[in-house]
Amino acid sequence: MNPLLYPIVIPFIAGLLLYVIPRRVKGIHEAAALLVSAGTFGLTVWLFLQKPMEWTTQNSLILRLDDLSAFILLAAGLFGFLIALYSVIYMKDRNQRSMYYGSLLLTLGATCGALMSNHLILLLIFWGFLGITLYLLIQSGGDGAAPAAKKSLIIVGGSDALLLLGIVFIYSLTGTFEMDKILLSFNNGLVTWVFVLLALSAFAKAGSLPLHTWIPDMAMHTPIPATALMPAALDKLLGIYLLGRMVLNLFQMTGAMNLFLMIVGAVTIITAVMMALVQHDLRKLLAYHAVSQVGYMVLGIGTGTVIGIAGGLFHMLNNTLYKTCLFLTGGSVKYRTGSTDLDELGGLARFMPMTFLSFIFAALAISGIPPLNGFVSKWMVYQGLVELGREGDKLWVVWLLAAMFGSGLTLASFMKLTHTVFLGDSAKRAGRKIKEVGFIMWLPTVILAVLCVLFGVFAIQVPLKHFIIPAMGSDIEYIGSWSPGLATVMILIGIGIGFLIYLAGNLKGIREADSFIGGEELDSETRVTGTGFYNTIREMGMFSRIYRWAEDKWFDVYDLGNHLFSGIGGVLSKAHTGVLNLYVFWFVFGLIVLLIVLMGGSL
Amino acid sequence: MNAYLAYLVFPGFLFTAAAGMLASWIDRKLTARVQWRVGPPLLQPLYDFVKLLGKETIVPKGSSKITFLLAPVLGLVGVTFVSTMVWSAMLWPEGGFTGDLIVVLYFLMVPSLAVILGAFASKNRLASLGASREMKLMLADELPFLLAVLVVIIQSGGSLKLGQLMTYQQSYGMILGSVSGVLAVVVAVLTMQAKLTLVPFDIPEAETEIMGGVFVEYSGPPLAVFKLTRMMMLITMPAVLTLLFLGGVKFEGWHILWSLLKFFVLLLLITLIRNTSPRVRIDQAVRFFWGPVTVIGIVAVVLALLGF
Repeated sequence: MNPLLYPIVIPFIAGLLLYVIPRRVKGIHEAAALLVSAGTFGLTVWLFLQKPMEWTTQNSLILRLDDLSAFILLAAGLFGFLIALYSVIYMKDRNQRSMYYGSLLLTLGATCGALMSNHLILLLIFWGFLGITLYLLIQSGGDGAAPAAKKSLIIVGGSDALLLLGIVFIYSLTGTFEMDKILLSFNNGLVTWVFVLLALSAFAKAGSLPLHTWIPDMAMHTPIPATALMPAALDKLLGIYLLGRMVLNLFQMTGAMNLFLMIVGAVTIITAVMMALVQHDLRKLLAYHAVSQVGYMVLGIGTGTVIGIAGGLFHMLNNTLYKTCLFLTGGSVKYRTGSTDLDELGGLARFMPMTFLSFIFAALAISGIPPLNGFVSKWMVYQGLVELGREGDKLWVVWLLAAMFGSGLTLASFMKLTHTVFLGDSAKRAGRKIKEVGFIMWLPTVILAVLCVLFGVFAIQVPLKHFIIPAMGSDIEYIGSWSPGLATVMILIGIGIGFLIYLAGNLKGIREADSFIGGEELDSETRVTGTGFYNTIREMGMFSRIYRWAEDKWFDVYDLGNHLFSGIGGVLSKAHTGVLNLYVFWFVFGLIVLLIVLMGGSL
Repeated sequence: MNAYLAYLVFPGFLFTAAAGMLASWIDRKLTARVQWRVGPPLLQPLYDFVKLLGKETIVPKGSSKITFLLAPVLGLVGVTFVSTMVWSAMLWPEGGFTGDLIVVLYFLMVPSLAVILGAFASKNRLASLGASREMKLMLADELPFLLAVLVVIIQSGGSLKLGQLMTYQQSYGMILGSVSGVLAVVVAVLTMQAKLTLVPFDIPEAETEIMGGVFVEYSGPPLAVFKLTRMMMLITMPAVLTLLFLGGVKFEGWHILWSLLKFFVLLLLITLIRNTSPRVRIDQAVRFFWGPVTVIGIVAVVLALLGF
């Protein structure tokens, strides 16, 4: 068997076996999932070192591992393992364990398959299969999850139909299904459609506007590790992988197509982060950020400049790191407090120091604070946009403004989260002691947070050099100019200066005292939770109306479709009165019409 | 080694601290003259700083101590970084790197971020309220400030390097000399006032209603570091504006006086605005910045794109 098949076949077999093992058998699911995901991770590392690899059968190139898919495969393997590790404790008392772990492994296998497929039909099969495992993973959230699971399946599965249509068009244009033989240029109206169809299916997977609405809904009901696995990590990798593949290999890009991508990207960044700003639930807030960050990737890839595309791909990698970390820390909070409602949380930093530490690094990384990883990729995307301007484009100003201001809004909503969950006043002042989660649960979050720092500080030496630049196939200009290593040393020195000032001062006599609120005694009911921090913005003229529309789901494709079809169905259902005579009448009437039409030629 | 020296001594930490104290003294002296007082002696900012160092450090009960004590230091790092990069670009325009403008813009947010984190860690309602205002104020001024910076990038032909932005202005005339430049400077001066959280935008502190807000729990050395950060910002923000809009500085003959004059005029503007206006509410501030100021910014960007 070709080694490329291992990371697909092994998780598949193990996953299917886990479905049939009854849940009364304790421990076997966890052990198998952990073992297989660790093995898959090891395999992806080995494959990464062996690239490029190919598997040809019956004269067609079926599987291919090149520079672009190899590093994404590696990332997918890492997330599969870390999330399986985290789930061992998080899911231990749940009923749906066999479904959960089985789906987790199937997801992992299908992801590896989709990333390595060179044959479009095979890609479509894995792509569609991931929609089903997503459905099953959401269903493992228990009773309330069914509507969200249905919605996700319809949006993600519906986008598979778009992909299928796109592939059919590709075959009719080129006569082949093998991706390495396809290079389409926009000289035919059909090619534009192909691009849009493929891009839409990538958007649905990655969760970009307009097909993002499944993510906030499913995040509310799915077990948090599953949310961290699919929309935060693997689906992002897959969606942006497809987009990257299209832009780098399948299409000869033109200005109009790039413009389409940039509009989608910029709108996604701003609208999703504005929604995140006013959320009241930890999971939903994170889910909107999972959408918003896709905007940066799409925008970067849409610039069409080398540094912009590289920035978009790097942002994909960085986003999966900090986003998964954030979701997992959110999971730890839920595990210990039993809630993700921001009004019921607060003051956890003292009780859960490791979780807080991972959270704050990931939060600063997603907000693009230098020298963390989010900054480097955003910095590259911005450079791509300015380069676009140098080439004569006028709209780059709009994109740059959306991207940079979106970054500020991201910071704002994470500051709100920091306050309401970890700092600030605790919800119930008296008594309740909350413990830090166990080692197995905080270890994955800490690993991810450390990776966020390392990928920022050593951005040029490690991720860009080994992952991104080989995938781009060409060297990137001015990439070596920002030196995050030096900046980090400077920051550490600066912190040293600060502490020297402290030491010079009177720091010996630290005294603890109650906080001072003008001498008043206030009960814990009047504490500032922070959920209302941005109500000023929410209530401002135009924004209040837009927020109301958004909450009534006027911007949700799924609900709009629902209204549309139930509207049409409502009209048509009037014909179904249940009166048999009427049906017979329609039947005869139809036959007559048919007869007339068929005989129309001879009459 | 040079980079470290630049960071620690000149034009980094020590220089900026000294210049910041001087700027703070000028501000206080001018304020005093506006109010028909004599004003403090030259070294008063230093005395204040040293006095705070000697005071007791009080940490609120049940707060996250490390965050509480680390936050002021982070702010100090942020302002030192910005100052080092901006001054280095003005003194040695060939140095620096492509995209350092973006680094400066991000580090400019760090002092505010530090204030917010420190206030959150204070576990005090007034501080929380103040911090939420600081955050909103930051959002409010960020949008028009970015627009103003875009004008500079457009006029210089798409450069993201601080040194190039200055040399461009020194050979083709300062940004202020064009129509779009004038509008951009108006926007930038207004946002500068908000970034320094000075009246009329001292909403996060608002002594008369939330008793210093973000700083309410701070005392002793941590407060001293926050105050020092603010003094350093008072000279760093004018430096950023001088570099971006007023053609930077040049240390040759008469140019020295001319360069100093730019700083002094900006400081004078800051002081006069803060002495002649009342504090606004946070929603008014957000409306102001996202409304008329942003419109001016957009007009400036469009004019710049059209070549005015």
